[in-house]
Amino acid sequence: MKNAGNKTVKRRTFLGAAGAGTVTTALAGCLGGISGEDDDIFRIGHLAPTRSQMGLGAERSIEIAVDEVNDDGGILDQEVELLSENTEGQVDEGTAVVESLIQEDNVDLLVGTFVSEVTQGIMDFVADRNVPFIITGSADPDSITEFHGRDYEEYKNVFRTGPINSDLQAEAMGQYAEFLSDEHGWEDFAILADDAAWTGPFIERLPDEIEDLGFNVVHADTMGIETDDFTQYLDDVDSADADAVFRFIAHADSAAFVSTWQSNEYPFAVEGINVPGMSPAFWDATEGACLYETTSQSGAGGVTELTDRTMPFVEEYEDRYADEDPPSKPMYMGFNSYDAVHFYREAVESAGTADYENELDGIVDAMLSTEHTGATGEMVLYDEDSEYPNDVQETRDEDDYISNFPMTQWQEGGEVECVFPEADATADHVAPEWL
Amino acid sequence: MLGTLLSILILGAMISAVYALIAIGFTMIFGVGGVLNLAHGALIMIGAFAYLGLTSTGGMLSLPPMVGFVIAVAVSAGASYAMYAGLVQFIEENVVITFLATVVLALLATELVTFWFGTDPYQLVPLVAGSLHLENVGTRVRYMELLGFVISWIAIGLLWYYVTQTDEGRSILATSMSERGAQLTGVDLDFVKSRTWLIAGAFAGIAGVFLGSLLSTYPVMWLNPLAIAFIIVVIGGIGSIKGSVVAAYLIGYLETVTIQFLGSSFQGIFSLVVLVVVLLVLPQGLYGREFVHE
Repeated sequence: MKNAGNKTVKRRTFLGAAGAGTVTTALAGCLGGISGEDDDIFRIGHLAPTRSQMGLGAERSIEIAVDEVNDDGGILDQEVELLSENTEGQVDEGTAVVESLIQEDNVDLLVGTFVSEVTQGIMDFVADRNVPFIITGSADPDSITEFHGRDYEEYKNVFRTGPINSDLQAEAMGQYAEFLSDEHGWEDFAILADDAAWTGPFIERLPDEIEDLGFNVVHADTMGIETDDFTQYLDDVDSADADAVFRFIAHADSAAFVSTWQSNEYPFAVEGINVPGMSPAFWDATEGACLYETTSQSGAGGVTELTDRTMPFVEEYEDRYADEDPPSKPMYMGFNSYDAVHFYREAVESAGTADYENELDGIVDAMLSTEHTGATGEMVLYDEDSEYPNDVQETRDEDDYISNFPMTQWQEGGEVECVFPEADATADHVAPEWL
Repeated sequence: MLGTLLSILILGAMISAVYALIAIGFTMIFGVGGVLNLAHGALIMIGAFAYLGLTSTGGMLSLPPMVGFVIAVAVSAGASYAMYAGLVQFIEENVVITFLATVVLALLATELVTFWFGTDPYQLVPLVAGSLHLENVGTRVRYMELLGFVISWIAIGLLWYYVTQTDEGRSILATSMSERGAQLTGVDLDFVKSRTWLIAGAFAGIAGVFLGSLLSTYPVMWLNPLAIAFIIVVIGGIGSIKGSVVAAYLIGYLETVTIQFLGSSFQGIFSLVVLVVVLLVLPQGLYGREFVHE
């Protein structure tokens, strides 16, 4: 403590320094990158539950996209900086990090959100601040129809570049049922879905899609997202004599679902969408119980060349994260987050501006007129007058099958194969050997 | 209808057996040491993850399941003992500090496991694979569920024999009834408490392996079982092993019936209703008289 007296800061000096600091800080705040063209940094805020494999895959994928863009001159000659935040899949946490990204970090673009309820929870705040926001994880159609449909002008800064919404996914599942019938003669289907926003269309639309094709929906039910014991649900599907169950799980414990199904050898196939099952680590995590189950996913698990951008991206991801924690492939949200950055760059460079405060209409017009070849496929957004404004369009093959939401299946030895649509397939669909 | 009743009877027995193991450990520690051990749930998780690490076919060791099971139970018991010997014995006189310290331990363990394994769930290699298809009942019972039931009763039976038929065990029972009385008869309290934590940890480890196999293994897998154990212990009578077994079956069946007829969203509601009723009508629980508070 000796000499302490000599080091005491005089009151006047302190006040002077504090005053100067305050002014500097205030000026810095004013000068921060509020609208994309007022400093040399283009900031992207990424939102995902990054402690889950899905969120981590998305975070890594957008890092790759940002590096590629920076290597190619940035966005409108600005260097791109990524700020990735963990939403924890919770509405309150998602809201808090979005407020911080917009108000304190002055991001120029928001990308992400996995849980549909989180997406909808931040929608009004984001719309109010006009920051362009590209949804890359949530599939709930209400995120578009209930917001843009009600007041397009208010929500025009919100886009979805992937996945296709779950209304369209339900149609794709109907077409897949037809494929299964052709392959195996299955005609009786059951539906089980998470009790969550994104699965509404699978309960409301999918039965009609299946029955319109002349097949039967013998059982349908929703499962609480906290459910971890699926015996009763699977017994019910068994009692209904279904040939296959379409199950839609993102939140619920799909490892327990598939393990219960496999160890009991229930006499029906497991098809549909299983978000945790998209991870390459799912085979080990379930001790191989996921053999024969399928899931639909943007990017087809990174096992087939959907466009000439698909495999370079997947290989870059694998090279970078080969020795890191799972997932060892991007998973569907990773594909969509990667594509979103490149899509946005193409749009604002064609518009010549990323100044959303003054030229948002120009950015929106450019987004809606951009035709981008992404790692997931050809990407075009629906326009203002369509049923799903600003939402990514489905693509269709010559048989009118929706082609940008392909199906993958876990096959022998833990291999993931693309099984549908046939143009992208790497293997035939295999029925469980105990059927 | 008969099929549904049989299905409830079988499935309820399976899950109740695991609940009983968890509740017995929880109640013993409270009965003997007066410690509300909220880290008890973390011991369930530690047992499941130890088994995962030892037996996973994609892992380094890939031990035979039965060997992994024995070691996992030992790891869980050891962790429980370490918790007592390394921390709780120094602070157990202060109820609030102990309560908070065990919460912190549970959260610390959860964060460590999350760091190593992530938040996504795992399935464990079953000790016995396959299942029994009860066609007339309309359900299937995994051999793993049957084994869980059998092992639960063997563990409970051995514990029962130990605390009622051996001097060492009787000293646990005596301490749970009256610490001072036990001390006056020459019981070594530290020894009794250490053994109690070991037994509770082993029971939690067994439950963890079965819960992790039948449901899923993930870092916060212990939250629901701990909440259920808490309800069971209060209903059964705090400190009573017999009460915990009876209440575990009561709650296990109540949950199974609820899931069967109302769906899984309502799983825990009626357990809470029963808890409230018991607290109002029979605050000492079904067998609360075995525990005499000093």
